[in-house]
Amino acid sequence: MSEMTEVTTTGQTAAPAPTETPAVSLHAVTKRFPGGKGSEPVVAVDHIDLGIIDGEFFSLLGPSGCGKTTTLRMIAGFEYPSAGSIRIFDEEVGLKPPNKRPVNTVFQSYALFPHMTVAQNIAFGLEMKDVGRDEIQRRVAEVIDLVQLEGRENRKPKQLSGGQQQRVALARALVNRPKVLLLDEPLGALDLKLRQAMQIELKQMQEKVGITFVYVTHDQEEALTMSDRIAVMDSGNLLQVGSPEEIYDHPRTRFVADFIGETNLLEATVVDRRTAELGDGTPVRLDSDAATGTAVTLAVRPEKLGLVRADAERNHDLDAVHGTVDRVTFMGNAIAYHVTIEGGRIPFGIEIRQGNAPGIEHFAVGDEVRVRWAPSSASVLED
Amino acid sequence: MATTLTPPDTDDTSVPPADLPPGLERNAEKAESRRGFLIGLPAYAYLVLFFAIPLAIVVVYSFATRSPSGLTVLADWNLRSYVRLTDSLVLAITWRSLWIATFTTVVSLVVAYPFAYYLATRPPRTRAILLVLVMIPFWSNFLVRTFAWRLLLSSDGPVTRILEFVGFANPRLLFTPTAVIIGLVYGYLPFMILPLYASLERMDHSLVEAARDLYATGWEAFRKVTWPLSKPGVIAGSILVFIPSFGAYVTPEVLGGTGTTMLGSYIGRQFVGTASDWPFGSSLSVAILFVMMIAAMFYFRSGGKDL
Repeated sequence: MSEMTEVTTTGQTAAPAPTETPAVSLHAVTKRFPGGKGSEPVVAVDHIDLGIIDGEFFSLLGPSGCGKTTTLRMIAGFEYPSAGSIRIFDEEVGLKPPNKRPVNTVFQSYALFPHMTVAQNIAFGLEMKDVGRDEIQRRVAEVIDLVQLEGRENRKPKQLSGGQQQRVALARALVNRPKVLLLDEPLGALDLKLRQAMQIELKQMQEKVGITFVYVTHDQEEALTMSDRIAVMDSGNLLQVGSPEEIYDHPRTRFVADFIGETNLLEATVVDRRTAELGDGTPVRLDSDAATGTAVTLAVRPEKLGLVRADAERNHDLDAVHGTVDRVTFMGNAIAYHVTIEGGRIPFGIEIRQGNAPGIEHFAVGDEVRVRWAPSSASVLED
Repeated sequence: MATTLTPPDTDDTSVPPADLPPGLERNAEKAESRRGFLIGLPAYAYLVLFFAIPLAIVVVYSFATRSPSGLTVLADWNLRSYVRLTDSLVLAITWRSLWIATFTTVVSLVVAYPFAYYLATRPPRTRAILLVLVMIPFWSNFLVRTFAWRLLLSSDGPVTRILEFVGFANPRLLFTPTAVIIGLVYGYLPFMILPLYASLERMDHSLVEAARDLYATGWEAFRKVTWPLSKPGVIAGSILVFIPSFGAYVTPEVLGGTGTTMLGSYIGRQFVGTASDWPFGSSLSVAILFVMMIAAMFYFRSGGKDL
């Protein structure tokens, strides 16, 4: 599933024809909010195209204000798009009210009805749909079992812990068997341990019920661990869509490289289609069709870099650059080295992360070293 | 905790270092409560002097006797004034006061709720402006404002003219219960708006979104979520409008006629008017107070606490 790229951002090459009906597809969707008095409208979502495959766990990832929540709210029907089309299983829903859409939402604040019990909260959607009493009872019991809230049916939301409230919110949405479940940072209010446990549980639940999840988060780690695919957003634009591996290993822009994990950005000048030169003249291999002399940026993750003594034997499969260790940080499970590369026009630093396993050579400040990496670990950024 | 335990007492005169002499702590608490009392003293004094004592006088008078000349004799204590509460005239006036107050409350609620909702969903700046607008009438004299209504409702006033224009034949508003209700709604509307606004403003708007998301129509979302959650405001506003309407004096006096006497005016007449029967006026006042207290207690027992 992760190889499929039915999703493009504007200005990029067209997507291959989808093999099946996407669960959700956005086409040229724009949302403008009126600005303050006399000011320009604020563009929250800027002309995005997006296809979410049926049954996948899809995350919208980005910093606050990037448009991810607005996108989700447009799919839910709480906001109407200023332009473009929103389809859910090929049905145009862009201007339909939320109650006419086959989706349900888990809210960031949970939005549980405080005057109703857990069971009443969960039954709400079914009652609105005029499902029969017996079936409501059966389905509520079923979903209470799914989220493990047995025995708490008659509690009020206030009497539950944060994690339990979260489960009620999930149950209240899932009981309706929506075609798509929308989740707006549902784990944001939980503490770290519980959040990590819920991440795994949510993912397992999604696999069990087989419903398409559209998950909004600003937490890159959460997105990486749970998602089948991730869309990275910034200031209303879709920057990159792909599997967690693609996004992490091959970020396409500086923003993506920087927002997700840590990264080293190396400035280089293209020599020919297969090689470029770093600032100090070290040749590195890459794959680029840019013209000779073009400045490009390479992104390499700290943990993809190896560190050896300067006099160690060369490995010609790897690209390498000479430098001096100028900072060593012990991190418990790893050791981070900061290496300065001298020579050339400008000195630059590289951060390297070595696992803290037995047998790994340790270095000290001032050691002459060679930093090396597999050419495939370096991504050429587009900006 | 274990580390702070003192070793077993070997010396009777030794005092554990952490413990103050018991008297000191008690004295400190006493001083604290004394300070609290001093802060509250002006209000205490005011309420005792101008509320509790006059109320006690009213209660005492309600058991006194009216002399044939209309003076009150503080002797020959009896329950005659209370027996008179069941006179058909008193019952009729009470009944009228009840329905006028009820009607006023319902009309206020119907008018105030949409406005309070609108107010609560505005951006903060607009809200502040609108709230000030709601309060502005309080800055001018209530009696003057009520007399202004007399002009508006009079037989050649604008309201009557408009009604004639729309097709009502010979509309008569002034000195009718309608005029009294219009005046009362006008006077007490802010008391309905403010608690409603407070409860609606506190409500998390995502609850309405959640209801809509769970297939509720706009009306269903209101009925199942917004309305029940705004109930404390509805109850508080209704009490704040009903009680003063029930005992209203100025409005029925100015806008009502002979056929619209309400309890407030009737009681007033016992003291300053022709009737001059202070014991009866007092017993009426005590009875109203008693009924209101029961009603308030009922409210706080039932809805008041769990909402």
